[in-house]
Amino acid sequence: MFRGILEGMRQTLRSFFEKPVTIQYPEQKRPVRARFKGRHVLKRYENGLEKCIGCALCAAACPADAIFVEAAENTDERRFSPGERYASTYEINMLRCIYCGFCEDACPTEAIVLGDNYELSFMDRAASIYTKDMLLEPVPAVDKLTPQSTPPGVFTRSVPEMKDPED
Amino acid sequence: MAVKMVNLTIDNHPVSVPAGTLVVDAAKKVGIEIPVFCYHPKMDPVGMCRLCLVEIGRPMVDRATNQPVLEADGSPKISFGPKLETACTTPVSEGMVVLTENDKVSEARKDILEFILTSHPLDCPVCDKGGECPLQNLTMRFGPGESRFLFDEKMRLAKQVPLGELILLDRERCIQCARCVRFQKEIVDDPVIGFSQRGRALEIVTFSDPGFDSIFSGNTTDICPVGALTTSDFRFGARPWEMNAAASLCTHCPVGCNLTINVRREARAGGRDVIKRIMPRQNESVNEIWICDKGRFAYHFTESEQRLTEPMMRKGSELVAVSWDEALQAAASRLKKAGEKTITLAGGRLSNEDLFNLCQLTSGLGGQYWMHGTMGGGDLLAQVGVGQGTNLGEFGPGSAILVVASDLHEEAPVWWLRVKQAAERGATLIVASARPTRLDRFAKCVIRYAYGEEVETVTSLVPEYKTDVSEAICAGIQGILGAENLVVFFGSDGLGLEGTTALAAACMELLVKTNHFGRANNGLIAVWPNANTQGAFELGYRPAADLASRLAEAQVAYIAAADPAGDDPALAEALRKTGFIIVQELFMTPTARMADLVLPAQAFTEREGTFVSGERRVQRYYPAVRPISGPRPDFQIAAQIAAQLGFSLEERLASLVFQRLSEAMPDFAGLTYQQLAMVEEQWPLIGRHDLYFGGTGYDNHQGLGVQLKPAAQRLEPLNLPDVPELPPLQAPEGAFLVVPITCLYDRGQTLLPTSLLHERMEKPAIYVHPKLATRVGLEDKQSFQLVLNGISTLVQVIFDENAPEGAALLPRSVGVPIQGPALAQKEIVSG
Amino acid sequence: MNELQKQYPDEIRQILAKYPPEYKRSAVMPLLHLAQRQNGHVSPSAIDEIAEILDVSPTDVVSVAGFYTLFHLEEGGRYRIQICTDLPCALRGAEHFLKAVCEELGVAVGETTPDGLFTVEEVKCLAACHRAPMFQLQGDGEIAYHEDQTIEKFRALVNDLRRHAQTHKEAA
Repeated sequence: MFRGILEGMRQTLRSFFEKPVTIQYPEQKRPVRARFKGRHVLKRYENGLEKCIGCALCAAACPADAIFVEAAENTDERRFSPGERYASTYEINMLRCIYCGFCEDACPTEAIVLGDNYELSFMDRAASIYTKDMLLEPVPAVDKLTPQSTPPGVFTRSVPEMKDPED
Repeated sequence: MAVKMVNLTIDNHPVSVPAGTLVVDAAKKVGIEIPVFCYHPKMDPVGMCRLCLVEIGRPMVDRATNQPVLEADGSPKISFGPKLETACTTPVSEGMVVLTENDKVSEARKDILEFILTSHPLDCPVCDKGGECPLQNLTMRFGPGESRFLFDEKMRLAKQVPLGELILLDRERCIQCARCVRFQKEIVDDPVIGFSQRGRALEIVTFSDPGFDSIFSGNTTDICPVGALTTSDFRFGARPWEMNAAASLCTHCPVGCNLTINVRREARAGGRDVIKRIMPRQNESVNEIWICDKGRFAYHFTESEQRLTEPMMRKGSELVAVSWDEALQAAASRLKKAGEKTITLAGGRLSNEDLFNLCQLTSGLGGQYWMHGTMGGGDLLAQVGVGQGTNLGEFGPGSAILVVASDLHEEAPVWWLRVKQAAERGATLIVASARPTRLDRFAKCVIRYAYGEEVETVTSLVPEYKTDVSEAICAGIQGILGAENLVVFFGSDGLGLEGTTALAAACMELLVKTNHFGRANNGLIAVWPNANTQGAFELGYRPAADLASRLAEAQVAYIAAADPAGDDPALAEALRKTGFIIVQELFMTPTARMADLVLPAQAFTEREGTFVSGERRVQRYYPAVRPISGPRPDFQIAAQIAAQLGFSLEERLASLVFQRLSEAMPDFAGLTYQQLAMVEEQWPLIGRHDLYFGGTGYDNHQGLGVQLKPAAQRLEPLNLPDVPELPPLQAPEGAFLVVPITCLYDRGQTLLPTSLLHERMEKPAIYVHPKLATRVGLEDKQSFQLVLNGISTLVQVIFDENAPEGAALLPRSVGVPIQGPALAQKEIVSG
Repeated sequence: MNELQKQYPDEIRQILAKYPPEYKRSAVMPLLHLAQRQNGHVSPSAIDEIAEILDVSPTDVVSVAGFYTLFHLEEGGRYRIQICTDLPCALRGAEHFLKAVCEELGVAVGETTPDGLFTVEEVKCLAACHRAPMFQLQGDGEIAYHEDQTIEKFRALVNDLRRHAQTHKEAA
């Protein structure tokens, strides 16, 4: 009988000196894998313009009907994105989202990307609706906020030329 | 007339179609879809896009003997041409063999699509047509997966070219099929857009002022097979697949065009349903697949912020919001007290169900009910209106159409279109009017009279009265005598209530004397000011000449969907004497401001109901958006008031009200909502998702409506009214004659909230012939105080060579009240 | 008021007389030529005037004018030098000739010399392939072919035209 107890104590003692596998969340956070699908981010170009053109193909692709988009027209004086159209409303209901990433696949401008933020908890249902302001990534510099005033005839293409995805 | 049938084989399917049918249409009949871009079943083929290439073989004929050459097995030997042929320009012939699915054809389609896409920007994600685009669909179905052309060599062209403020052009997306150019030229006779340059530089241009000056311009965006033409109203509004579709009717004129309302729930509207666009719905007997721009764009009133949302009662001098219960009780107690001193006044915008409940309520009290309007004669349509089965689309040689006192292009654009097309097919068109109209150039005979001679003119057209008549009238009589069918349109151009009532009687006399009544494609059509004026007549409402004195004597005036105080200062004066005024409305109209009780009503988009068109077709409309909270349907309000008074009226559903209506009214006997919702296959087939593309307009799955039989068709005895003589119109010294005319874009309550059309709306102005202006002392573009019926209004003078010399023309509903021909003076401003 | 009608009343009457009244729209081409005679291009007001005379829409007139390279909707030089560079001409050196002409005049294709005299245009086949390099000279209401060209011949012609323009200016 003592043998059994000693064997148990030995195991406990051995674990005592092993490196712990747990981390001190939330002070400490574990990096996610490259293909992790967390909360969505709406990307910008380097000049600060939004990549999203409000085409709503993400909403069409969404199997959970979590995305809602309303579009409006850009002008050179008030430009949000290249081309004629931008998303004036962009909402994702994070309670509905199943993080499948179909929206990423559907996006013709690589504007929506499932990021690495997984800290999604809400006190009520309304708070689970993320609006465009919450989803857009921060601007690289203050002077690159949208809407921008742009020279006429430069940003006429909504969809940039892109290579086929490699991976 | 027996049509010669031709037998052919398409992809091994034997087909028998009338001679002259094109191969594309014949294929469509057996469910084989040949893809097209430039071909449209409503227009002449041009064979520009080459997508419809098919292989066609014809039976060989021995030239010596003129006998068909036979194969060994006895079947005719077929010779196939060396090249493919366009199915859209080739008519069928006996024994033809068409192959639409072999490798040669597929290869050709692939190549054509590759060429068409060489300069197409492929910006489908932002394109309004994306999702309902034939170029997308056909490329997915037949196109090459990849292009061999270099992306860098694509043409870069302007993407936002406004062709006027309503329609925008994207030059890159255009595939040069010329559908829009042909539509404007062939179908609506407004050749205001055209092609300039050639080859790859070809582009659509407009040089009219205002740009793209056509009242049918919106239709080009429907038939455009790519997203090159878009309306500024819908531009980037929503993706096609996001919207719900509800069947509806146009409420702007008596044609009764079938519509589909596209709706989406939106965040920017606070989660409300928002109407994104109005599309035509196919009804070959009413509007085919077209609607006018007023019908397409002027729906914004239903969503206006100015809508009334809660009942209001006058307490002291103010109108204050009250609960429905309080409002209904107040209405009921007032009505009970007034009893037979109640007068109900209804407008032609209400549905049959509303009108029925209102008249039931009023007759229950022993009161009287009237229609608000200045056009009469609807009771005669119940006798000799066009017969059941009438379709202007069938008019051709042997038929005649007489249009009297109506500028159809402005008053009922789709009737103008259909009458014009009937004339082009060979129908005899006779136009009698006091001034030139857009219909004149299609007419066999144009009769010009002076304002005031309308009745005389129609009477002189009765062949048996043939006396000493002018050449034009002789030609008119010849046209009528030579016709098997005759339809008469009468309107209110330059006429008031008295004039139109007399004119209707004269038209009826003409139809009866020439025996053109009581059967299909014969009879009378009235060009009413409202969508359901005819329905109001059917339910017993009449316009009253002495309305002012009746209103003044009434203890309670119950006014629904009418604005007498805004339309006529004399009625406003009378209403001041009325004991108690109840107004049921959408907006705070001048009448509502005078009211003691205001009841908010629902807009037609929020509820269901039925209208009777000028051709006496009963049609249904369906709810498109969820109603805003507060307003109730008119029929329900009337029924709820009735309930307080102890009568039982149906308040639950419009269909139940209609059931009672059809039991009570002989003309509607046996009609049900189910019957109104019945559809049958319509030709040409214009499906939305077909490869053979007719436009983004909708198929009709919600009902073609039922045309009522007039009394004459039910073989009931006629009651021919006397034709009253009208006093001649003459202006004394120092005054001149002003007559009302109807313009499409007026400044009415239902049109003003559509800011898109503001630039095209009529201003408060009178159109004056320069000679008349000299006599009266007016100058072009001058603003002056016009004194009409004792009321002085500031109006502008516009010189118009087309106006008659005897009278100035004043558009209705532009802010200057006018009911009929009137004498006017120029106010002398002293100092 | 219709300026064109005022300026050429007789010509317009003669032109219209050639066509039956119900097909008078067929007169659009001769009228465009007439309108172009004065300034070398058809102005927007002339378009409206032609439309008015023929009872068609201005858009119809523009479609016709836009289709043909001989009608000009935009103002150019007094003389238009239209050089064909299609394949047979190119084989006979039309492209080099075009380049030399541009250098000689100091303008690019489509541009007008600063004195407002010459516009160089590159056009499609003019049906004189066997005598390329060639160009068509449009100006002073006339059209002339100049074939088997060299840059020397061209220089001489240009100098002639300059002198001609100068003397006319002085005379005026």
